[in-house]
Amino acid sequence: MADEMTLAELADASGLAARTIRFYIARGLLGGPVKAGRAAAYTAEHLARLEKIKKLQAQGRMLSEIGRSLAGAVPERSAAPPTAWWQHVIADDVVVMTRNDVSPWRTKQIREAIDELARSLRPTSDADGKRSRK
Amino acid sequence: MTSTTATSFGPLAGPGRETIRLAMQRLWLTGRILPAGAHLIVQHVFRSEEEKPLEVIYSFPLPRDAALRAFRITGDGFEVHSDLIETEAAIKAYERGIAEGSLAALARQYGDGVVNLTVGNVRPGETVTVRLELLAGVESHDDGFRFRFPFTLAPAYHARMKAARVSEDEAEVELPSDEFGDMLLPPFRKDAAGLHEVGFDLSVLHQLPFEEIGSPSHSIRVKPDGMAPARVALAAEKDVPNRDLVLDVRFKEIAAQVLAGPTTEGVRSFAAIIPSTLFGASPKTARRTVIVLDRSGSMQGAPIEQARKAIDACLAVLGEDDSFGLVAFSNDVESLHPTLLPVSSENREKARAFLGQVTAAGGTVLAAGFQEAARMLNGTGGDILILTDGQVAGTEQILAQARATNIRLFCLGIASASQDRFLSLLARETGGVSRFVTARERVDLAAVDLFASMGQPVASGLKTSGNVQPEPPSAVFAGNPVVLFGEFSEGSQMLDLAWDGGQMSLPVPAGDGETGQTVRLLQGSRLITDWESRYPAEQALAPLEKRKQSRVAERLSTLSRTYGLASREMSLVAVVKRAGDRAGQIPTTRVVPVGMPQDVKFDAYFAVPPPVLAAMAPRGCVMEATQAVYTPKPEVRQSFGLAGFRGIFRKSHTPDLDAKVESTDDVLLDLASQLEPDGGMPGQDVADRAARSVAVLLAFVAAGRTLTTGAFRSHVARLVRYLKSLNREILDVAIRAAGDGRVPPGDWLAIARTASVPWSQVEKALTV
Repeated sequence: MADEMTLAELADASGLAARTIRFYIARGLLGGPVKAGRAAAYTAEHLARLEKIKKLQAQGRMLSEIGRSLAGAVPERSAAPPTAWWQHVIADDVVVMTRNDVSPWRTKQIREAIDELARSLRPTSDADGKRSRK
Repeated sequence: MTSTTATSFGPLAGPGRETIRLAMQRLWLTGRILPAGAHLIVQHVFRSEEEKPLEVIYSFPLPRDAALRAFRITGDGFEVHSDLIETEAAIKAYERGIAEGSLAALARQYGDGVVNLTVGNVRPGETVTVRLELLAGVESHDDGFRFRFPFTLAPAYHARMKAARVSEDEAEVELPSDEFGDMLLPPFRKDAAGLHEVGFDLSVLHQLPFEEIGSPSHSIRVKPDGMAPARVALAAEKDVPNRDLVLDVRFKEIAAQVLAGPTTEGVRSFAAIIPSTLFGASPKTARRTVIVLDRSGSMQGAPIEQARKAIDACLAVLGEDDSFGLVAFSNDVESLHPTLLPVSSENREKARAFLGQVTAAGGTVLAAGFQEAARMLNGTGGDILILTDGQVAGTEQILAQARATNIRLFCLGIASASQDRFLSLLARETGGVSRFVTARERVDLAAVDLFASMGQPVASGLKTSGNVQPEPPSAVFAGNPVVLFGEFSEGSQMLDLAWDGGQMSLPVPAGDGETGQTVRLLQGSRLITDWESRYPAEQALAPLEKRKQSRVAERLSTLSRTYGLASREMSLVAVVKRAGDRAGQIPTTRVVPVGMPQDVKFDAYFAVPPPVLAAMAPRGCVMEATQAVYTPKPEVRQSFGLAGFRGIFRKSHTPDLDAKVESTDDVLLDLASQLEPDGGMPGQDVADRAARSVAVLLAFVAAGRTLTTGAFRSHVARLVRYLKSLNREILDVAIRAAGDGRVPPGDWLAIARTASVPWSQVEKALTV
């Protein structure tokens, strides 16, 4: 079939390294080639799957999670329910709650999102809005 | 043997972890360490227990000033040497080999000095060994050096990183591919037991007699042999990959060392290590210093506790003419005061209170920390001392930002896994000095020692004879030798140095070919490391195709060809064609896991549940709300004192540091921190202060800490200045002791510790 590709062609078409594609196959994110041996070939479906993985990654998903969701698995729930939450009062009429036990790295993302939200909710008359930190 | 699944490296039966399938079984370090750097061979033993061919990736960080030279791949009936070719061509050659079903290996360097060693098509049941040859620098001190080799890779912070725990004791980190390409990071294991075994057997070459060889990281067996190379090996049979190997070598005397040897026709390569004490002493001028503390999550536990103590001791070194600032950063920056403060007891107390409330949490936005410090110094001169674990990714951009501040950065690294390469670059590229210690060492002493190097250099405007590359440093700092690499035409016998107000000549020995070759390679790896750090931000991100056109890439290609060393532009590749190669088979790709660095809290890095899942936290579950008042920047200061929050970050910290018996260094550090801004000890009146100051000074000197040696040299200098200011002849005996080390009899350490020392007791001792 015309749309069958070699691994090198699939790599070119997807913009991913051949090693990365093999890594995805080994992790179960992508099916193996449709034929074995010297004629090993990949199809448009492989390419579409790679595009989907890239899209999910851009949305902030990790490979481990993409693997589960592509396999149709329900995202795992935490074994230990959260015990405490932070309550951020970002306006007189808005409160945002966040878990207090997330990783320090995640804290930064959450913090920036809350800042963003707080800024967008702030009355326009607030001249201090753009003031830089000391 | 317990049964294993075909696709997992993970421990099979929960925490028992008897059975882990290891794609890499062993990593063994051998080679020669010279005072100017090391020539190393790292042996990697790979074994496939898959039913299909295996492609295995070992991801590791380069040591400081390091470059790969070659590898040799061996197995049953074959031995093949690598070729050094352009990275793109190397990737193509590797992929061709894999497609043909041949065994292939590729060693490729990415940003931040991370290398991926990929070995593909290892047949089921087959064992393949890769011996990788590399050159690496050492951290030079006036009286010796520290050698560091990474056996693991620390998970580093990046603003766009993703990190998650994938099982109870394993976590993964992903970096954005638009910046880091297809680089793969290893999975991190909470417990390194059961991973590949590591070890070392090294020889240490030297010109000066050894005072001591030790390791704060591993138990070692040392076999000194007069002036012949000493053999240093792991004392245990094997170890686990969860920390760097750190070796300290100290010599009996402080003297210049020149290593040399013939390389090509009529050319002699040399390396010279010249102690700072040969250049003179540092003039006393008012110091302006900003101390920058990394309080990111990875510093949690021992590192931040140690850093607090270190800063307290550093502040005690400052005198009443000096001024200081204090900055703590993670995702955001907090400072003691927006401007520099004069040194007074009151301000030191404020600093102590500020440090006391600093909690380790959040990311490592290093640039924000030193940019705030630079703002405080405001272009009027001064130094920045950064205490960090340096666990950040995207270091080229940080280096560019650091160069732009135009202020010297002194770095004290505190971690068990190496970011040594980055911190040494950060200091050197800005004209400063770096030290890297493990969190289990006396971090406070290392900080005080590094602090004593800051301030005015002992020499500047250094020029040399011969073709020296890289350029000699612009300034020489107390405690830090000048290290030069260069070459001479065969006739020259002397290396001449001249600086503002001084000069010296050092004989260059004829040497042997092996030394000459090693020294030349060390020069090459140092030059490549320097240039690697200079990719402009937009080029570091550019695809290979485009990057090739940049000046940095061009320079790196040239250096790689000249010295025969790999860089980001040139990689090492080998393909082994064998009977029975089956084309088109897709090998199973595995990444070798490494241990979470010792003393870094796995749970703090990788929270339960994974952060990504936390974003979908279930609705309607019972929660115990904790109130945190949120106010938008800049006023935002979350109260870290809240019980729920503090609990998370405190419970895992179990320091046994406090339990130990107080050592001489503990006592000296405590005494040092009591010095008043004028340099003297506190007391009721002048006689009381003088008596205590003499006792403390003599306690330092009796312990071998004088004006020129040991971490407390600036404390000793301040005590001497204070005693001189009293203008009493009887004090000269104590002042002289600080220089010549001759102490009047008495247990001065014990006397110094008493709250009040009678003047009569001191007077009697000084007149004897």
